[in-house]
Amino acid sequence: MGWLTISGIYMAIVVSLTKDHGLPPKWNDPRFIVEQVSALAVGVGAAVAAFATIVPGHKSRLLAILLIPVAAWLGTVGEGCIHSWTRLGPRALLLAHDLACFPFIALSSTIPAILMALMLRQGAPLTPRLTAGLGGLAAAGLANFFLRLFHPEDVTVMLLCWHVGGVFLLSALAASVGGYLLNWGSITDASENTAR
Amino acid sequence: MNAQSSLKRIDGISDDDLAGLMKMAQTGDTEAYSQLLHEVTIRLRRIVRRSRSFLSNEDVEDLVQDILLSLHSVRATYDPQRPFMPWLLAITRNRLADGARRYARTGGREVNADCLDVTFINENANKAIDLFGKEDLKNAIDGLPAAQRTAVEMLKLRQMSLKEAAAVSGMSIGALKVATHRAMIALRKMLMKTNERKY
Repeated sequence: MGWLTISGIYMAIVVSLTKDHGLPPKWNDPRFIVEQVSALAVGVGAAVAAFATIVPGHKSRLLAILLIPVAAWLGTVGEGCIHSWTRLGPRALLLAHDLACFPFIALSSTIPAILMALMLRQGAPLTPRLTAGLGGLAAAGLANFFLRLFHPEDVTVMLLCWHVGGVFLLSALAASVGGYLLNWGSITDASENTAR
Repeated sequence: MNAQSSLKRIDGISDDDLAGLMKMAQTGDTEAYSQLLHEVTIRLRRIVRRSRSFLSNEDVEDLVQDILLSLHSVRATYDPQRPFMPWLLAITRNRLADGARRYARTGGREVNADCLDVTFINENANKAIDLFGKEDLKNAIDGLPAAQRTAVEMLKLRQMSLKEAAAVSGMSIGALKVATHRAMIALRKMLMKTNERKY
């Protein structure tokens, strides 16, 4: 809850500073609402799952709570791509280089990701890569949710690539460094230093 | 008594008692923590020996210490409302897996060499002194070429500096260094031959 609160406040501030450069959210579009709700659920679910993995003896089925929101999110984005294809034809497949999306997700998720890493180091590094990957997914997923509030263009392959792909890429990058961030050696040393 | 309840009570202390000790330890009760660690250590040794029966006592003890350090580091993650042993066993399984990976990376590729005698106290390390005496050394130095003999006598036997030896012998410092190096190689060869003839 603490991480979600702080990250939410931080990202709300970032959005308030940048929203004037974007478009208003499409609250009258049911597809957009479903997409946003599932994207938010992915971010929150990943955070819950990440914190669950650092508790020894945690129930592994807690990780399954992620499956439904991920499926819903990918489903709405995929459905949006198909809708764009029927409307625009081959032009819907164009991967226009939108320089704002991926860097925004990466930069705005940095502070929450750092905070997440510091909090995860308080627990047991039973599955370092999985834990770090879930933490990265939580931070990037939350950033994507806030980005879409002022970047509510119709879903296209471009959006699929830069938004969804960017979120999972950042999650994979976090997982790749999980072993360095979360390991018994560094956590034991940190615990001893705190005790002194 | 069924299997589950027999597992819950080992050596007269139950899982509930361990959970209680851990709960008190989390509030800062050092005596409870000390008792908990004592009870847990006994169980951990048994668990590690059973799952890694091929390990020596020292390796078992290393693993037990790793697990205890890990328990200490993450003691805050224990929820007092839940049973204690599953929490401990999750840490134990993880540390055993880590130990196996560490062994595969290092110990599995090490070869125990013979204990070599490298200390001066051990007589075996000092055999070289008995290989040749002063007379053998004198004869070997006398058998060197003039320049090498001069370099050895001045620098090694009379302990002169390079400058002093260069001034006295008329050789340059560089020539003295080369001559000394060659003299050492030659002396080694001569003394090895002397040693082979003797033995």
